[in-house]
Amino acid sequence: MRPSESRGIDRREFVKSAVAIGGMSALSACLGRSGDENDDDEDDVSIPAGTDDPTSLPDRQHAWNGALPSDDHGNHVLASHHVLLYADYVGDGAPTADERETVESALQSLERAFEWSSEGLLFTVGYSPRYFDRFDEPLPDSVDLPEPAALTSFEDPDLDTNDVVVHLASDSGAALLEAEEALKGNTDTVNGVEMDAHLGGVLDLPEEFPGRRTGFVGDGLPAENNDVSGIPDEADVPEESPLYMGFKSGFDKNQATEDGVTIPEGPFAGGTTQHVSRIRLRLDDWYVEQDQEERVSEMFCPAHAEEGTVEGVGENLGDDSGAGDCVETIEEDARSAGRVGHAQKTARARRDGRPVILRRDFDSTDRGEAGLHFLAVQEGISDFVATKTAMAGEDLTDTPTIRQRVNNGIQEYTFVKRRGNFLLPPRTHRALPTPRPE
Amino acid sequence: MQRRQLLRTLPGLALAGAAGCLGDGGSEGDGTGTPTPTPTATPTETAVTDGPDGVYVQSYLEGMAMPESGMSMGGDYSFGLMLAVPHNFWTVTGSDLSRHQREDSQSVHLMVQVWDEETGVVLPESGVSVEILQDGETVSEEVIYPMLSQRMGFHYGGNFTLAGDGSYTARVSASPLSAEPMGSFAGRFDEPTTVDLGFEFNQAVRDQLTIEELDQAGDPGAIRPMDMGMMPTGVATSPGELPGETVGTQSVDEAEFVLKAAENELAGDAGAYLYVSARTPHNDLVLPMMSMDATVTRGGEDVYDGQLSRAIHPDIQYHYGTRVDSLESGDEVEITVVTPPQVGRHEGYETAFLRMDGASFTA
Repeated sequence: MRPSESRGIDRREFVKSAVAIGGMSALSACLGRSGDENDDDEDDVSIPAGTDDPTSLPDRQHAWNGALPSDDHGNHVLASHHVLLYADYVGDGAPTADERETVESALQSLERAFEWSSEGLLFTVGYSPRYFDRFDEPLPDSVDLPEPAALTSFEDPDLDTNDVVVHLASDSGAALLEAEEALKGNTDTVNGVEMDAHLGGVLDLPEEFPGRRTGFVGDGLPAENNDVSGIPDEADVPEESPLYMGFKSGFDKNQATEDGVTIPEGPFAGGTTQHVSRIRLRLDDWYVEQDQEERVSEMFCPAHAEEGTVEGVGENLGDDSGAGDCVETIEEDARSAGRVGHAQKTARARRDGRPVILRRDFDSTDRGEAGLHFLAVQEGISDFVATKTAMAGEDLTDTPTIRQRVNNGIQEYTFVKRRGNFLLPPRTHRALPTPRPE
Repeated sequence: MQRRQLLRTLPGLALAGAAGCLGDGGSEGDGTGTPTPTPTATPTETAVTDGPDGVYVQSYLEGMAMPESGMSMGGDYSFGLMLAVPHNFWTVTGSDLSRHQREDSQSVHLMVQVWDEETGVVLPESGVSVEILQDGETVSEEVIYPMLSQRMGFHYGGNFTLAGDGSYTARVSASPLSAEPMGSFAGRFDEPTTVDLGFEFNQAVRDQLTIEELDQAGDPGAIRPMDMGMMPTGVATSPGELPGETVGTQSVDEAEFVLKAAENELAGDAGAYLYVSARTPHNDLVLPMMSMDATVTRGGEDVYDGQLSRAIHPDIQYHYGTRVDSLESGDEVEITVVTPPQVGRHEGYETAFLRMDGASFTA
């Protein structure tokens, strides 16, 4: 899309579209358009530069919270734009020291170019069980990283088996696209900084779905991008909603802490595991058949609907959805209200009173359909499985009102299409690690 | 009476056109009458239902298409696909009815029958979803609802919007049953499965998706289930053929509850297997997805007080049952309906089976 063709398109929608399309032309358009216009949009301000001192950055790749802004209630606000790149190692056998150096060099170049923040760039590099299969030694017991699998009796997802997944996130679509193109070797400089290396010779990086996945999260973005399949024309996705389903999520008290999801011991101490699922959203019945009270009931819990706890998108909830208070009545709700809530079910999976997964999910228009990339980090994949099992509520179908997918949270509207498991090593071992890095 | 109101709910049939239509003149519709091709219409409705109270004859007889490539087996399940004109239906949550209004954009009411091949027993209580694809691209995907209709009995269905004429694949996924499989069904129906069922959508198919107005619309009663050829219908086994002794038959909000006690292998280590086979009036369609309690009183003392489990057995089909130590002559059996049938309803059943209290039997 040339800048001249894009005039009149809302700036934020334009940036989101550029991220979804990807490639050098989208990047040029994105940068060109920034220069063209005399408005004060976020991409017109210069992107803050990074650091020459890698040791100044946290050792945990997933240490994002300190680099994210907070809202009025102290909730961390995730970066607006996201790209996931599912890549395969191009070599045979185990990666070489040279290749490791190339990868680390490319990643450090990005850290020099962009501030470690949502205004600059945040990223992680993860490795799948399939990646570690190439080594003679297995992963240590301190790493809980099984192959991905279907997690409910009503899903049949494709299982992601790529070796590597790179997650890029930024409030600036241009920064995101620049970083991606630089990693691919399509551009030598990013944000005025020269790349020392790129990943192109080591990893086979994707150009399109399903290898390349994109998305967005934040107030207004879903409402601006609702012209996709899965969202009915009649749907009134609230302007202030950060997600398609019309409610805030990721309240601070309903998230694990970064400490809580960090692997405490072994060679990957300081790392974490990452689960990414792709979920197709089918919101016809959500928005057309259901009223707001029913939506609150199914997203949170019946008591929240009855007591009017949730105003609008849930900004009034502060830093806690309050669904934890609904856990005890879940079986009673199943019988008397005929519904159980998504957050209510999920809140059953806690350790020491705290959730065990840290959600960093975002919506998507990949394939022209409304979707959600449900990305979460946790100490071990079994923490995710426990949370998903609680969320699925298949134990609640004793009463015939609650079925596997109907009146059972939001499962009537969400269809899991892909799942993948990855290890996010600590920064020191993020470049093509062996199963037992020194 | 309500006939005029009902005619407004006719799927895809204008009122002006309806005035010229003739039913089959008195006998219950049997699906063999000459159907009227389907014009378009936009009925406007506001109430949850206009239907009379209780089971009534639906206002129309719908023609259905059974695609040649619409049957397949997957895992322990057999699947069959049927298409009809999109129409309103109702889902039930507790005792509340929700109307699912037909939308003009919708192309078909898609129905899936799920059964056990060997016994022909229709299987309620799976979670079924359908993805519709054309040339490998997704056109739609929805969870479809467990549903009860006069012509098909229990099935799974929903209205879908297609992308014009052409060849489609309905990718049907079924999850394990929430009802307990018993007898030779034990250990089966516990794995999810997915099958692809092909169908065409074009004028020739639409010509089969007919609507015939029924003169008896709104009268107490029901039209007969249709013969679906190789596809079974969820008709309950006659009381005499069900295993065990018949304790009694009672009507509960028009539903027939047949209470039986079997002192055979169904009882396991206990003395008897006490069960209710529930069915619709007029045509004995299996009435699933209730929650029921039972008490057995002997000489003024409770000898059993507990839930009946939703279960499915090759000979009994879907039912509600429990093992009890014994059932003796003179025992009082009190059946309480905790939750009425949560199955969705086609027209004619939407006002029935919602206010069910229970029934008392004496052995």
